[in-house]
Amino acid sequence: MTHVLVVEDDRQTAAEITAALNDHGFAVDHAATGREGLLKAAAETYDAIVLDRMLPNGIDGLGVLSTLRAAGMDAPVLILSALSAVDERVRGLRAGGDDYLTKPFDFLELTARLDVLLRRQSAPQPRETMVRAGKLEMDLLSHTVRLGGRVIELLPREFLLLEFLMRHVDQVVTRTMLFEEVWNYRSVEPTNVIDMHISKLRRKLDIEGAETMIHTVRGAGYRLHAPE
Amino acid sequence: MRLSDLPRRTSFRLALRFFLLFGTASVALCGFLYWETRNYVIGRVDDWLAHEQSIFSPVDRDTLLQRLNAHLMSDPTLERPITLFDPSGGRLAGSQLSVPSSIWASMPFETAFRFVAPESGHTMLFRGMAHRRPSGDILFVARDMEAAHEFSEVLIRAFIAGGVITILLGLAGAAAVGADSVRRIDAVTRAVQLIVNGDLTERLPVDGRMDDLDRLAEVINGMIGELERLMHEVKGVCDNVAHDLRTPLTRLLGGLERARRRAASAEEYSAAVDEAIQDTRDLLQTFAAILRISEVENGARRAGFTDADLSAVLTDAVELYEPMAEAKQVRLQLLPADAPVVIRGDPNLLFEAVGNLIDNALKFTSSGGTVTVAGFDREGAIGFEIADTGPGIPVQERDAVLRRFYRSEASRQTPGNGLGLALVAAVVRLHGMDLEIGAATPGCRVTISRRKSEDGSRRAVAQHPPSRSDFEIKAGPIKGIA
Repeated sequence: MTHVLVVEDDRQTAAEITAALNDHGFAVDHAATGREGLLKAAAETYDAIVLDRMLPNGIDGLGVLSTLRAAGMDAPVLILSALSAVDERVRGLRAGGDDYLTKPFDFLELTARLDVLLRRQSAPQPRETMVRAGKLEMDLLSHTVRLGGRVIELLPREFLLLEFLMRHVDQVVTRTMLFEEVWNYRSVEPTNVIDMHISKLRRKLDIEGAETMIHTVRGAGYRLHAPE
Repeated sequence: MRLSDLPRRTSFRLALRFFLLFGTASVALCGFLYWETRNYVIGRVDDWLAHEQSIFSPVDRDTLLQRLNAHLMSDPTLERPITLFDPSGGRLAGSQLSVPSSIWASMPFETAFRFVAPESGHTMLFRGMAHRRPSGDILFVARDMEAAHEFSEVLIRAFIAGGVITILLGLAGAAAVGADSVRRIDAVTRAVQLIVNGDLTERLPVDGRMDDLDRLAEVINGMIGELERLMHEVKGVCDNVAHDLRTPLTRLLGGLERARRRAASAEEYSAAVDEAIQDTRDLLQTFAAILRISEVENGARRAGFTDADLSAVLTDAVELYEPMAEAKQVRLQLLPADAPVVIRGDPNLLFEAVGNLIDNALKFTSSGGTVTVAGFDREGAIGFEIADTGPGIPVQERDAVLRRFYRSEASRQTPGNGLGLALVAAVVRLHGMDLEIGAATPGCRVTISRRKSEDGSRRAVAQHPPSRSDFEIKAGPIKGIA
């Protein structure tokens, strides 16, 4: 079972996060201060750590993070913060964070991002030139996509979109993740427009009569499922 | 003000200090004058005494006796007594002056001295000089000093009277100066108390003298004016926030209560919960948008400024919104600029602003219309514009659409929280740019540009002070051109 440590000083937020992660099938430990978080992280092995940026009593989120990294712990760390400025984010990632989520956030966004981090951890992606998912085949060099041998014409952005979905096949990816990774902008994502891009892509991929490959996950985002 | 407060007033103390200084100087001056005057009078008398002695000393004894007796007749009141005594003190001739025996005991010669002699029932003050003649007789010349004494007494009395008047006038002056400033400071205090109690329309009194206090009051009045304006705007924003959040909250509550009342099956409950979750998400998004506008407005985002390629931002935004334009059957076109348009800024915020504007333009353009996005770096200005062929924005609404939560009549049917253009306005202001809403033919044209300074292509953002408040609503100078 995936074991996650949540370091969050606000009891109620911590309880909600714990509940959401439990429902997602994770075992959760909670620490209310940075010191307690470090003690728990030293005593147990965690698959991922959810770390609040602002913590009371001396050692704050970034302090915990740099201590963890200095101690050689490489579990993925997702930083939660009320500070959304770009340089805050950069500071968080530079201190060794793997992802950054601004409060208030959606719990589905949190679990989706943790899934991505855990997957990245367990199966580091080689620098391959081909990405495969089911019958889908993507050649990163020639920028071509084949579905069961049939070439599919995609616009450049659709190509990037599909690449991201294929790299996270069978995982939930949120619209925010798509907007950040595919469009490479960090601002409030225009949900409806991303949906439109997805439906265009879906129309190009889907075969008449067969089940769609890009599934909409209600309230969260999308999941690519490519059957063999 | 009470009289007992007076000693605590700065101006009174200052006046008092000057008064003490002046008083000490006056006393010293009077003392000096008195001393000099007295010495002068005595000096004159001594000179006269010496002169008389010099007249009589060469005269022989008989002539002297004769002249002294003549003198006795001419000076019966002993104003200038001249008497010749034998060596034992017996009067030989001249004025009937009785020299006290204590003086005889130690009589100085040829030098003036002061003595008191009883004459006709009262004592008289004299100054005298003795001369021993070769025969052993003593010629004694004296001068009545009563007049001189009276003169010095008059002088002292005059000095004392003058001092008293000076003291009274000085105290009164200090009190008057103190009372005047106290009156003004009390007026200021009263005004400040009213302001502290919440009456921001109150102003500090200015009496037109343009002195220190007046100038200070003018500055503070300016500050209170600004404060009043800000409070007014904050109140406006709070009212709007409260109003616009009440509606979705009421809907949320209503939906949940309805579910508890009516829902019979698990599916119905689950549908109600889903609806509540969606409503709550929308609320969260609205909150996030408000926070975001505040964050952008407080200027901290300027730390993330880089040389942003505006052309790339416009290209990305147009590409992002292409499917939406396609779905609405609106032509979305990007007019390429002659050269790359680079400005100092935050590309993420610029992208969001451009996206919001394109989204808005597409919303109000009916099918068959066109939305044109163009970047420009031309003589004098750098920026971009977005024109549509929609209904346009009426001149009287052009300021209002940039306000938080403002929904025009035309936009009430479209989805949105009324915060998009407010965010655009905040981003524009953060970048030191101007936003201009004008008319295209037909439709609306939004131009966002920054004037270029003479020396370079970009104006230093640091020269633009951050907006004066988090709640300022207008975006830079907004010009509505019809």
